[in-house]
Amino acid sequence: MAHIVLDKASVELAVYNSRGRALKSEILRRTVGGGLQNDRDRSIQVVKALNEVSFEARDGDRIGLIGGNGAGKTTLLRVLSRVYPPTSGRATVEGRVSSLIDLSMGMDTDATGYDNIEMRGIMLGLDRKQAQAIIPDIEEFSELGEFLSLPIRTYSSGMMLRLAFAVSTAVHPDILILDEIIGVGDAAFAEKAEKRLHSMIEKASIMFLASHDNNTIRRFCTRTLWMKSGRLVMDGTPDEVLSAYGEDISR
Amino acid sequence: MGLVARGAADVVGGFGAWRMWWMLAKNDVVRRYRRSRLGQLWLTLSMAVMIFGLGAVYSSLFGTSMADYLPHLGTGLVLWGLISSTIIESCSGFTENESIIRQIALPRFTYLLRTISRNLFVFAHNLIILPILYIVTGSPVNWHILLFIPGLLLVLANLAWVGYLLAILSARFRDIPQIVASIVQVAFFISPVVFKPSQLRVDHPVLILNPFASMLEVMREPLLGNLPSMTAYLILLGLLAFGWLFTLAFAGKYSQRVVYWL
Repeated sequence: MAHIVLDKASVELAVYNSRGRALKSEILRRTVGGGLQNDRDRSIQVVKALNEVSFEARDGDRIGLIGGNGAGKTTLLRVLSRVYPPTSGRATVEGRVSSLIDLSMGMDTDATGYDNIEMRGIMLGLDRKQAQAIIPDIEEFSELGEFLSLPIRTYSSGMMLRLAFAVSTAVHPDILILDEIIGVGDAAFAEKAEKRLHSMIEKASIMFLASHDNNTIRRFCTRTLWMKSGRLVMDGTPDEVLSAYGEDISR
Repeated sequence: MGLVARGAADVVGGFGAWRMWWMLAKNDVVRRYRRSRLGQLWLTLSMAVMIFGLGAVYSSLFGTSMADYLPHLGTGLVLWGLISSTIIESCSGFTENESIIRQIALPRFTYLLRTISRNLFVFAHNLIILPILYIVTGSPVNWHILLFIPGLLLVLANLAWVGYLLAILSARFRDIPQIVASIVQVAFFISPVVFKPSQLRVDHPVLILNPFASMLEVMREPLLGNLPSMTAYLILLGLLAFGWLFTLAFAGKYSQRVVYWL
């Protein structure tokens, strides 16, 4: 069903400052030629966010991603959710992907809770009927009651997060992509949210989880990838990768 | 040719994601007027005010009667509204959808269809004025009006490639939207919106070299009971073919990279 192959996938991100984005500097560069090369180097920096990463993931894989900040974890997650096409190499991702990186994506603060549920449902690939069918589940889970018929700009941030979380987890994808395990709301709700996330993880055929917490990785993952400055350093069981990672840090 | 095929696959895929852009475009229109009493009727009203205001001034400037001039101006302004706002808003086609583009993989053309259909919704609201205007001024309506539909489609198909191209360029170069806005502003004055083509020589460069004049002609003349000129159709068909071919190749090469520029 779900299947992922990365073959020497690299992502080079050009970081433009305001000069790099301006048309003027581009035209000057084109017309003046090599003379401005240094100037250009200062205005556009190329970051190799992912450097020739290769691996394969099959049904049942629960893969943890570890590595320091800026190691390329989020970039890898974006490649896996087909948002970033590799700038070189290949990435084949088969199956329906859903990423929980940005829970509140595409929410319209002036629309009611119900409208937002429907809109997000359609963004998740449902048709109108299916989108309306997830409403009862979200009503029950989010416990927002009457508030769902109010514009969501009237919500507190906690309520907003409840709704965003409830909608994002209402549809079960083949490939689930998580950036840290998200904690939502007060103690009682957090427990409920965790349960819901667990069942989503169980039902997904492949799961990716980027985390800085070793216990989380041990608990949810059967395989772990260690990323370091854009490269895949190690691929193995959580225990062996985490201990190697730990040694590397303490060194 | 591989690039064109890739670009074409993106465009076809964009149409396939119709639920997405239809929903987003509808929400865009609703959102703009959510808390106002007259709601979307404001679109119609402000256009009507503009038509009568400009009509009063220019009909006396040109020394023509209101009854003769108003249908021309009113139709022109409504149609120009569609053309100009589609082009200008296309520039933010990708930048305004940044959070969605960064999270889910959809064909890029989906976002252009959002822009275009949103502008069509607005256009439909403005269109209500025209029958009223024609009745009040006694403008002749005949079977030529049927040519309005192919004319509209021809214009939209042209706006779509222009928009796609501009959306990609604007994501990379943030000056493009400003440049486009000023070009569109100038185009308003050199296109026959407020003046009549007949006030110029038939072969005046403003009518031949300015594609906006052709766009206005194939949509406006049928509504006013006239037959558009063959030249206008040929110009638009030519632009359609070359424009799409170029845009598909360009999109095939660059549209995937848009996400890195946002």
